[in-house]
Parts: sequence; structure tokens; C-alpha cells
Amino acid sequence: MSNEAVLHAHSGAHDGHEDHSHEHHHQSFISKYVFSQDHKMIAKQFLITGMVWAVLGGFMSVLFRLQLGYPDSSFPWLETILGKWAKGGHITPEAYYALVTTHGTVLVFFVLTAGLSGTFANFLIPLQIGARDMASPFMNMLSYWFFFAASIVMLSSIFVETGPFSGGWTAYPPLSALGDASPGSKSGMDLWIVSMALFVVSSLLGGLNYIATVLNMRTKGMSMTRLPLTIWALFFTAVLGVLSFPVLLSGFILLIFDRNFGTSFYLSDIFINGVGALPNEGGSAILFQHLFWFLGHPEVYIILLPAMGMVSEILSVNSRKPIFGYMAMIGSLFAIAILAFLVWAHHMFVTGLNPLLGSVFVLLTLLIAVPSAIKVFNWLTTLWRGNIRFTPGMLFAIGFVSLFISGGLTGIWLGNSALDIHLHDTYFVVAHFHIVMGVASMFGMFAGIYHWFPKMYGRFLNNTLAYVHFWVTIAGAYMIFWPMHYEGLAGMPRRYYDYSIWESFKQFQDLNQFISLVAMIVFAVQFLFLFNFFYSIFRGRKVTTQNPWDANTLEWTTPINPGHGNWPGEIPEVHRWPYDYGKDGVDFIPQTTPVGADESVEH
Amino acid sequence: MSHTATHEDHSAEVKKEVTKVTIILSVLTVIELALGFYMMGIESAGTRLLIKGTIVILMLAKAFYIVAYFMHLKHEVKNLIMTVCVPLCIFFWFITAFLIDGNSFRNLRNTYDPHFKEQSTIKVEAKEVKHEEKEAKEEKKEGLKLDEPRRSD
Amino acid sequence: MSTTTTATTTKLWGGGKSPFDVEYGKLMMWYFLMSDALTFGAFLISYGTIRFSTNGWPDPNKVFKSYPFASEGVNAPLVFVSIMTFILIISSVTMVLAVQAGKEMKKKAVAINLILTIIGGIAFLSCQAWEWNHLHSEGAWWGLNPFLNADGSASSTNFTNYFFTITGFHGFHVLSGVVINIVMLIMTLTDQFEKRGHYLMIEKAGLYWHFVDLVWVFVFTCFYLI
Repeated sequence: MSNEAVLHAHSGAHDGHEDHSHEHHHQSFISKYVFSQDHKMIAKQFLITGMVWAVLGGFMSVLFRLQLGYPDSSFPWLETILGKWAKGGHITPEAYYALVTTHGTVLVFFVLTAGLSGTFANFLIPLQIGARDMASPFMNMLSYWFFFAASIVMLSSIFVETGPFSGGWTAYPPLSALGDASPGSKSGMDLWIVSMALFVVSSLLGGLNYIATVLNMRTKGMSMTRLPLTIWALFFTAVLGVLSFPVLLSGFILLIFDRNFGTSFYLSDIFINGVGALPNEGGSAILFQHLFWFLGHPEVYIILLPAMGMVSEILSVNSRKPIFGYMAMIGSLFAIAILAFLVWAHHMFVTGLNPLLGSVFVLLTLLIAVPSAIKVFNWLTTLWRGNIRFTPGMLFAIGFVSLFISGGLTGIWLGNSALDIHLHDTYFVVAHFHIVMGVASMFGMFAGIYHWFPKMYGRFLNNTLAYVHFWVTIAGAYMIFWPMHYEGLAGMPRRYYDYSIWESFKQFQDLNQFISLVAMIVFAVQFLFLFNFFYSIFRGRKVTTQNPWDANTLEWTTPINPGHGNWPGEIPEVHRWPYDYGKDGVDFIPQTTPVGADESVEH
Repeated sequence: MSHTATHEDHSAEVKKEVTKVTIILSVLTVIELALGFYMMGIESAGTRLLIKGTIVILMLAKAFYIVAYFMHLKHEVKNLIMTVCVPLCIFFWFITAFLIDGNSFRNLRNTYDPHFKEQSTIKVEAKEVKHEEKEAKEEKKEGLKLDEPRRSD
Repeated sequence: MSTTTTATTTKLWGGGKSPFDVEYGKLMMWYFLMSDALTFGAFLISYGTIRFSTNGWPDPNKVFKSYPFASEGVNAPLVFVSIMTFILIISSVTMVLAVQAGKEMKKKAVAINLILTIIGGIAFLSCQAWEWNHLHSEGAWWGLNPFLNADGSASSTNFTNYFFTITGFHGFHVLSGVVINIVMLIMTLTDQFEKRGHYLMIEKAGLYWHFVDLVWVFVFTCFYLI
């Protein structure tokens, strides 16, 4: 019940000593670094696993961008690494689709869900609400290991003989339901489903923990309206996950039956070339799309909200100003979380969706523009006349706002069912969601890493490398995805293998080459970040003060390298909201400072 | 935790409540079953729909009693009740949208898919699927079951 | 938010205590059940969607019309399933009594009621096993539907597909509930809760068990009645 009770099993870890070598006596390597129940270590495990997947997923995009940019050239080295999937140095169509699919799945679920909210929810929730650990450290550990198992299964699917699943990350039947539909639909798809089922379990375990921790374990004085916006965002993220992932699980269970037990939930009137007519009758492939997008749409907010929360915090800290419209920020997060559940069918306007129903979905979809705009204006007004410190974290946070605006505006186009008839499944969509959800959330993640790295490892990241990383990445992101809008408006569909053989899309050959080139440069620059990250863990400049960013939130009241239990003594009590920057002429007032007698009114 | 300090009369109170709820649940179930039997003899689609609607309302009433009393939610703090009940409101739109689109899909197929329409109007003879026959089929369950006759016929 | 520190400590949401006055485990169980409700909801809504997108559907009264030891060709719709429903309701009642006994720290009453609940659960599972077996003997299985639509036209296999999948998933929940209850029983008999000084764990098991009952209310209505 109390925060203290949670750690009663580990009472030895926080008995008032700041001497951390003391802990090593009763913590083996396995219990400290592998099966750790410390939320900070679990966060790092999520982060590093996510980074491994980001590199793999990014590399996949480089491979298929090679095909798109240089469809006529052959690259013998491709055959060296891909074998039969790149005969003669050409990526085969099967391999191309497998790469696109795995890139999508991995980036959406493993990097931007587990890697982002897994990392920062684990790391920040207990530290910022003032708890010793999560509500259930054991379930938290299980959450990571289920994710790890999902990773291993997904990784193994890349190496099966018929290749990984290749029907798109959305796994629409019949490609996902019929083994004979394509090579990737065979054992690759089985492994894909198993992996995703494990992933659902992982996110459920994590999400339940985050919710229970935020609600139940806040320290004394930390009322809900004194929570940093990071926590609010992570809280809503967890709620979205807990309520939407089970629907995906149901959809997958039905899919498993269709694949293996002769049912026809999603199948009807199907004819496969070389196989003939199938006996399945009465199912509806659209049903799967409904079930998938019932998760799929909240999923994009599961990806985006943590980034929004961290950006809010980082912008405020580095503008030395209170966040503008704190309650409006919470309200808009709440509104987004609700609307996220109501708009899924805007992904399905051209499936034959009932037009009247479609128009309701248009209305609900366009409503999301309201809370999104509130957030954008609040970020901008937070920056307005601020005393801005352009730390790398801050730059990425500003980059996030920029990308969110650019990508969000095209969302208003796509939310209209009439426009969607033209734009559906074109590069316009690819550009839209990569900017607003993919790159923007990546920027939020980078912002979080640069900002909280000192808390994670007690050292700073190198700033010069960080600046190069930022500028190349943001310029590259726009150079990659901006031109895609034009291609999409011209009707260029996504997921085609070779555009050069189409009279209508030949003209974009040079543009595609340009995009591919930039994509490779941006991918290469990420290694600067990786080098910076791993080098700085061991050799970075040491943090010498408890509070290097002069921030108000609770995590900066812990020791530089907090042990398990976070605070060596009592958990501090909170007396104010986290955004007292520049109040009454004082630069910053930490949350633990009691309200002074002659202080002006709180926010 | 606040319940650890229980008194004897509180215990009796709880027992009384449990008995009451058990009776209510049983009565509701019996009414549902009675309606189910009653519906068997009725051909009119409108009346059937009405009865089905009544059964759904009774189902929700049963659900309420189970959640409120058996799961003790009614005696929890109001905030907990809210955090459990409010998110479940997404079911309204979840159900509405899915069913409307399912219905619309049927209309589309009835309009544009003559085969689908025809299928559902032809009466067929009820056929006993022999067990041995079915087991023979199962042995052939390799990948797609192509040589099988349509199983629903 | 201009409250003094002394006022904050007494506030429900002020931090330092649970705003719901429950321990985190119970809170998590509730949220898990909500999540599970969405799983079942998705199944049942899928079933509804497919039913709405199909012209005909078998009449449940012509399908579920037998009971154990009945003569061949018996026509007794709803009889067997109402027995199953009552078994589950009664087992829910005994679970409530077990939880209540736990709150009063009455070990013996807890054990007896848990045993009754477990028996109820096993009885329900047996009924289900019989029904599945009976339907299977009639030629129904995943991907096999011997029944015709109510109007006499050919039915798709989705009637049996959904029936077996959803009742199977529910049966799986009943089974795990029984296993959980057996674990609770063992822990009760070995005095583990007595040592802890509270029977809170049984409360959580109880929540799960009632949820299983709750789901059956919906499954029963959707498959047998309407």
C-alpha cells in the first residue's frame, strides 16, 4: 500500500547509505543487470533493446530505399549479406515486401512503443512522482522479458527459409491468413503473430504497472495536478495501451484460427493463383481491419504521447519559463486519449465503409485537430520570450514541435474521406505518418535521451556530436519526407517494388534517388549518436551536481547515481507544481521547496 | 484494508445482500429463459427484435448486479467506480460502428454480389455430417483444404 | 492549488496514499479485468459484426437442444445451458462468501467456500466439455457447420467458428480461475494468509472469478438466447 512497503523485500538497498559499492555485496551481476527489478535498469534494458531494433529497422529501410532509388543498378554486396533474397545484387520483390513489413512492425511496436514508452515510463514515473520503484517491480521485469522474447521470435522470423512476414505491418488478411498467399505468409507469419502476442502481454504488464504506480504511489503532496506533464502523458499512454492492445489480441486469435484451424472469420470467396478457389465462406476481411485499427489508431498516440509529454517538460526547463497552459495541456492529452479510440475507421475510408459512418469518423478525426493545436500553441507560447538554452535535448524538442506541425497539418487533409479517395495508400500517407508519428516521436525520444542521460548514467553526452546529429537529422527528415508529399499528390502508390516501369511515375526517378541518398546519410549519422551514447556511458563528462539542468522535478533531488530505492533517506515531500521557473524573480524553485510566506499565488 | 475491522452485524448484512443479489440474478435469468422460450413460437421479426432487446436489457441488469455487488464495486470509493466505468464507455461506439458497418457490408453484398444473394435464398436439405467422413477430412488437413466439398453444404 | 501542506495530506488525491483506498494489486486486477473485458468485447462484437453482415443465421434453439443422458432426438432447448448458467452463478455466490470470510479472518469458512467454488467451476467445465463433445459428434467443429440457417438456407461455418472460439476462450478463463482458486485453497490451508494477517489475495482471485461469471452472462445471451 505505501511506497515503503513495495520495497520491503529490498530494504537492504536503501538503508540510508549513499555508498553504492555497499549494494554490490548482495546484488549479483544477474540480479543487477539481467533480471533486475530496479525500474531504472529495466528502463535501460528497454532503451538498449529498442536501439538495437532501431538500427535493424533503419537498416532495412536503407535496403529498400536502395531498391527504390536505384532500381536498375545491382549491388553485389547485397547478395553477400542477403543471399538468395538479393540474387545478382537485386533485392527480390519478396525480400522487398518482407523488408517493408518488418521495418514497419519493428519501428512501430518495438522501437517507438517498447523503446519509447517502455524506457521513459519505467525511468521517469517512479523518479518524477516520488516512488521507490514501480507498484510491482516483478511484473515490470516480466514486462521487459516478454518484450525480449517477442524480439527474439521476431528476429528469428527473419531467418526462416520462406522469409519473414511480407504482407505489410498491418497484417491484413488474406495475405496474413493464408499460407499459400505468399512466401512470407508461411512460417514467417506464424512467428510474427507469436511475437506480437508476446508483445501484447509485455505491454499489458507494463501498462497496468504504470497506471497503478501513477495513481497509487505518488509521494506526499504530489497531487495529480502537480504531476509533471511527462507523467500525465505516460499515464494516458498506458491507459490507451491497456484498453486497445487486447482488441488486437482478439483479432490475432481469430487470425490464428483462420490460419491453422480451417475457420473463415476473415476469409470469403478467395481464389489463389495456382491453388484454385478456397472453400472459405462468410468471413469478412474488413472485420480484421476494424479490429486492427481499433488498436492501430490508439497505437499512434501510444507512440506520440510520451514524446509530447517529454517535450513539454524539456521545453519548459530549457526556456526557463513555466509551461504555458498546464491544465489545458492535461485537458488536451485527455481529449486526444479519448478521441484516439473513436476514429479508427479513418484508415478504412476506401474499404467500402458505409459513407454515413465514414462521415462520422471524419468529424471525430478532424476534432483531434483541436487538442493538437492547443498543444502546439502552448509549446510555442512556452518558448515565447523565454530565456532559451539550446541544449541538444531542447533542440530535439523544438524539432519535435516543428515536425508535429508539419505532419499534423497533412493529417487534416487525410482525415477527410473525400480527399482520402485520392490520397489513400499513396506516398502522401507515407510522408504524413512518418513525419508526425515516426520522426516526431524519434525526436521526442532523442530529446528524452539527451535530457535524462545525466540521470541515467551520471555522465553527459558529447554536445558537438549531438549538434551534428540534430541538424543532419532534422534537415534529412524534411528532405526525405517533404518530396514524398508531391509524389503522393501525383498519385504515386506506396508499397510498389519498382516505379521506373510505370509511365506515370517514371518522372520521380531522380526524386526517389535523392530521397534514398538522404535516407542513407541520415542513417549513417545515427551512428554518431550511437557512438556518443555508448562512449559517454563510460567516458562522458561526469555530472558533478545533483541538478545539472536546474530543473524542478523530483528526479533531480536523487543522488547523481541513485541506487535501487532512488532516495537514500526519506522520499521528499512535494509542495508545488513542477513549473515554477522565473517566479518572483527566482530562476527555478524545485518542487520540494515549501511555499514561502511572501510568495505570489501558485499557478 | 478498511474492511479488516468487521463486525458481526456487518457480516450478517453482507450475507443478506448476497442472498438478495443471488435471488435477483436467478429471477432475471429465469425471465430471460422464459422470454427465450416464448420467442421460439414467434415469427414476426419486429416482435422478435423487441424480445431480443428486452433480453439484452436484462443481460445488462445482471451484469450490473454482478459488478456492483459480487465484485463489490458499489462499495468502493467513487473515484474507483468512475475510473472503471468511464473508460468502458468506448464500448458504445465500438459496438455501434462495428455493427453498422457489418450491416452495411451485407447490404453492399446483397446489392452487388448476386452469388451471395442467391446463396442465402436457396433452401438446402439438412445433411448429417458423418463422423468417419469428417475424420477422413481432418487427415487431409495439410495447408488448405481444397478437395473438401464446401463444408457448410 | 493553493493549499497549505497540512491540508494536502488529508486530501484524497494529494499523494502519499492511494486515492482509491485500495492496494495496488487490487487496482491492477481491476484494470486487467477491464483490459480482458475489451478482449471478450472484441470477440463478441466481431461475432455480432459477422452476424450482421450475413443474411441468415442458425437458430440456437435447434442447435443446443440436448442434455446428457437424453434420448436421441430429444428437443429441449435452453435446458442444459440454464443449468450451466446457474452453476456459474452459484459458484460466484460461494466465491463472494469466501472473500467475505477472508475479510473476517475465518480460515475454515474460506476453505469450505473455496472448495465449493472450485467444484462449481469444475462442474461448469464438465458441462462445457459434454456440450462440445455432443456438438462434435453432430459434426460441428471449427470449420465444420452441419446446421442450417433458420430459414433453411446453407449456413457459413462462422456460427460454429465463433461458438467454439468464444466459449473456448471463456472456458479457458474458467479453467485458469479454477487453477487460481486451487492455489488460493492451498495457500489458505497452509496458513499463508494467516501469517500475512490478511486474505487480500483471495479478494483478487474473487474479482477474477466474478469476471468469468460476468462474461458468461454475455456469452450466454449472445449465443443461446438471441
